[in-house]
Amino acid sequence: MTLLQRSSRRYLTRHPWLMGLSVLGVAIGVAVVVAIDLANTSASRAFQLSAETVTGTATHQVVGTGETLDDDVYRRLRTAGVRPSAPVVEGYGTLRRGDRTFQIIGIDPLADAAFRPYLGTGASGDLDLGPFMARDVALLSAPTAADLGVSPGDTLRVENEGTTHAVAVAGLIEPRNERTRRAVANLLVVDVSTAQRLFGQRGRVSRIDLLAPSDEAAQAAYLDRVRRVLPDGARLQRSDTRTETVAQMTEAFDLNLTALSLLALIVGAFLIYNTMTFSIVQRRGLLGRLRALGVTRGQVFRLVLGEAAALGLVGSVLGVLLGVVLASGLVQLLAQTINDLYFVVEVREVTVAPWTLAKGALLGMGTTLLAALPPAREATNAPVSTVLRRSTQETALRRWAPWWAGAGVLMAGGGTLLLAATQQSIWAGYGALFCLLVGAALLTPLAVVGLANTARPLLGRLAGVIGRMAARGVVTNLSRTGVAIAALTVAIAATVGVGIMIDSFRGTVSDWLEQSLQADVYVQPPSLVFRRSTATLDSTVAARLRAVEGVAGAYSVRRVRVQAQVGPTELVAVEPGPTTEEVYQLRSGAPETAWPAVRSGASVLVSEPYSYRYDVGVGDTLRLQTDRGEQPFAVRGVYYDYGSDLGVALMSRTTYEQYYDDRAVSGLAFAAADTTSVDALVANMRTSVAGLQDVLIRSNKALRETSMRVFDRTFTITTVLRLLAIAVAFIGVLTALMALALERRREMGVLRATGMTPPQVGGYLTLQSSLMGAIAGVLSLPLGYVLAYVLVFVINKRSFGWTLQLSVPSDVLLQALVLAVGAALLAGLYPTWRMARASPALALQDEG
Amino acid sequence: MPTSSPLVQLEALTKTYREGDQDRTVLEDLSLELHGGAFSVLMGRSGAGKSTLLNLISGIDLPTAGHVRIGNTELTTLSETERTTFRRANIGFVFQSFNLISTLTVGENVRLPLELSGEAPRAGREQARALLERVGIADRAQDFPDRLSGGEQQRVAVARALAHEPVLVLADEPTGNLDYETGQAVLSLLGDLVQDTDTTLLVATHDPEVLPRADRVFHLRGGTLREEVPEYIGASR
Repeated sequence: MTLLQRSSRRYLTRHPWLMGLSVLGVAIGVAVVVAIDLANTSASRAFQLSAETVTGTATHQVVGTGETLDDDVYRRLRTAGVRPSAPVVEGYGTLRRGDRTFQIIGIDPLADAAFRPYLGTGASGDLDLGPFMARDVALLSAPTAADLGVSPGDTLRVENEGTTHAVAVAGLIEPRNERTRRAVANLLVVDVSTAQRLFGQRGRVSRIDLLAPSDEAAQAAYLDRVRRVLPDGARLQRSDTRTETVAQMTEAFDLNLTALSLLALIVGAFLIYNTMTFSIVQRRGLLGRLRALGVTRGQVFRLVLGEAAALGLVGSVLGVLLGVVLASGLVQLLAQTINDLYFVVEVREVTVAPWTLAKGALLGMGTTLLAALPPAREATNAPVSTVLRRSTQETALRRWAPWWAGAGVLMAGGGTLLLAATQQSIWAGYGALFCLLVGAALLTPLAVVGLANTARPLLGRLAGVIGRMAARGVVTNLSRTGVAIAALTVAIAATVGVGIMIDSFRGTVSDWLEQSLQADVYVQPPSLVFRRSTATLDSTVAARLRAVEGVAGAYSVRRVRVQAQVGPTELVAVEPGPTTEEVYQLRSGAPETAWPAVRSGASVLVSEPYSYRYDVGVGDTLRLQTDRGEQPFAVRGVYYDYGSDLGVALMSRTTYEQYYDDRAVSGLAFAAADTTSVDALVANMRTSVAGLQDVLIRSNKALRETSMRVFDRTFTITTVLRLLAIAVAFIGVLTALMALALERRREMGVLRATGMTPPQVGGYLTLQSSLMGAIAGVLSLPLGYVLAYVLVFVINKRSFGWTLQLSVPSDVLLQALVLAVGAALLAGLYPTWRMARASPALALQDEG
Repeated sequence: MPTSSPLVQLEALTKTYREGDQDRTVLEDLSLELHGGAFSVLMGRSGAGKSTLLNLISGIDLPTAGHVRIGNTELTTLSETERTTFRRANIGFVFQSFNLISTLTVGENVRLPLELSGEAPRAGREQARALLERVGIADRAQDFPDRLSGGEQQRVAVARALAHEPVLVLADEPTGNLDYETGQAVLSLLGDLVQDTDTTLLVATHDPEVLPRADRVFHLRGGTLREEVPEYIGASR
């Protein structure tokens, strides 16, 4: 180790609190990024693994227009000699024992061996096919059975969409390796007919698996042969299409989560920037001496970067470790959100991918070094001569403040241009956000001078000379205070921005629910995916409910997934009621022409996210796969919908029945007669369907509350990220102000020597810290608002296509001020305590 | 007085600072020649421009006009990095406020110029120890500067200034922060060391006690330089 490196190391170890807090800032930033990445990876791995498990070796699949396919298609294929081929009925169910969600796959054991050999259904398998095909029995993985305390012969109670079925355990799957163990951990294998009973899909299958030859020409001929056999409404697709579709579903969601996790790291970067700048400013004299002794600018630059690298390395390693721990908590939150919004996924363990850890560490190091670049450059400018005093620098800095502010305005302008120049890029949106943050940081010193000068007479009236000194001190020490306040402002503004965004989103959804829930009672089967329920209401239940006394009107909703020319589409068929037009508020298209067209024929409305995602608008034609083949539907309007970011196409029930053979309903909305109370109607309905399908019967109010609860649940992870960013910001405030106060030991010594008592010094320090906190808090409010504006109107729009109403909650703003001033006060305590005990003579000694 | 060709040559040196909207000339058309091995003193009041002149001679700062030549090297034509490299190889510094590196021990402070010049660590350690013994504080080699008295710190600074065997040592008010006796002891040490090593020394000071040790004395006033040759010059050497 060279003497210069040794000098660096000693400087770092002599300031353990300062360096420790900086390391912690980086560590939390890295931890959040790593944790989100691990959670995302674990969830998508879990889904991919389960998809691969049930897909097996199949290369292609035959699927229906909606969720299912007539099993007669399978017979046709077999008759035409398309082999190997195997029918699959697929779905999800919850096991009462252990309250665990399982993927349930119904197979034909005689045809399945070529596709899923690990199930042991082939000729060499030890499965007794007789009982497996004759009774309601299931296979499950041996380790899972051990977890649940289940043995062959035991009965499992499987719940699906409100109906419970009993299946006996016929045998256990012994995984041959770790990959298979994880793949089959949440899998329940049953016979096709058992699955059809479980899912109420008599005579229908989810898909038919095929194994096409690998030779290109042979494959083309084979697929051509398959296509010729297929009836209208049946489609051939590659077996990986579904996994790709699912990956696309969560793409924007994952990206935003990643971007939000980077927020904590950016806040951490400001922290590092602040610490490094502070350490340079504090060592200006020392660096000047080194320069006088012949240390080159390059050596000083490398020295400072080396220190930052050391801090970054320690912070990154700690962050990676912390990230793994945090991920185990976040992964469940993430899985819950994915289940609420997109699809069923059961994540039982965190997949610790070495690349994710390396990426996190590299990101931590990179961010730290990047944040340390400006201070390192600043260090090379340390005056070699020892005669230049700090007051000269401060004057120069104040003179430069307007120029910096100008650069800040340019930077912010650049960000705005970036927004204007790009239409859809989410990363460009975040790039612009970053420009705005940096622009604001550059504007801060000038704003600090203005605000501190404004506060000076006020503080003078409140606290006399100490008050005036405190305000003046903020300006005269601008090289330190400016950086600290800028870092705090950015950190707090980021949390304000996200807070306002969440609140705006919540407010918009709440208003939308108010508007769209016009019926009195809603009935639907329970579903594992809250926002995208395609569960089916039992026909007997539906008929009984319609006949309940006190029902003035009943309107059905059917949700299915179909294929459109633009991609997989969620289709909603509604039975229009008297208030339907109020429920679906049009964003574009004329209600007076759109609705009559939708009611009478081949026309649809699409939701705002659908329109944005697929670039489909009024006047376009949507080509949907129907049971009558591919059919055109005119898009008559785009309506507001916050239920699904994947988007929805809507048609009338009459049109749906014209093009699809499906007669099931997913949910019913009821209007209560004037003479019946809603509570009484709900009670009557519950009585009328007792013992049948266990459906959810909810009043308008209860459904609204549930929806908001789910909304809040889907934002839990964002809130956790915001809280973590606040934690980093808090550490930032603490570090910056504590460093500042400690560094001014000499100044405090002079004050003590000139007669200030320890409480007066304490008061002075606390007042100044509070003023800095208050300035940061005040500056963070407009910046936070701008960030929220971009998040709401650009990022959300580009990610999900939603139009949100911006609302600024007073509690978020108050929180920002309390955070800033609270942390500032806390930061003032330790230096105050130290100053009160320090001898003025010692404090006056030059530390060098 | 040495009679060889001059080691330091300043020619028509002018230094002007910009203060607000006005220019302030600190040094004006100043010329000077110092020969190798000479002990020269630069007298002048505070603010006369002594430190500025030392900064120009060492290449820390550049003149507004004129030339600075050390040996055969014209400093004003060198880049910043070249001047730094030249300085660390050829010039030693002693400051009024000692300016030791607080994060290095006494021994390390003395070794620093050697390490910067690329000296092998072992040789550097031995050289540093020898110098510390010479200045009488070898027993404090492992201590950090803040544990030392002012006199001890300035001794370390002297050892550090001479560690890499520079041709020129510049001392800026080396006794300014010391009591009379300690100051004299440090001056005596500095004088002996430069004499032994035939190093050229230029001391900027307003302390007349330095004068008896000097070969040459210059007065800096109003930005111009005037040499005095009183009888007692060199009396105590």
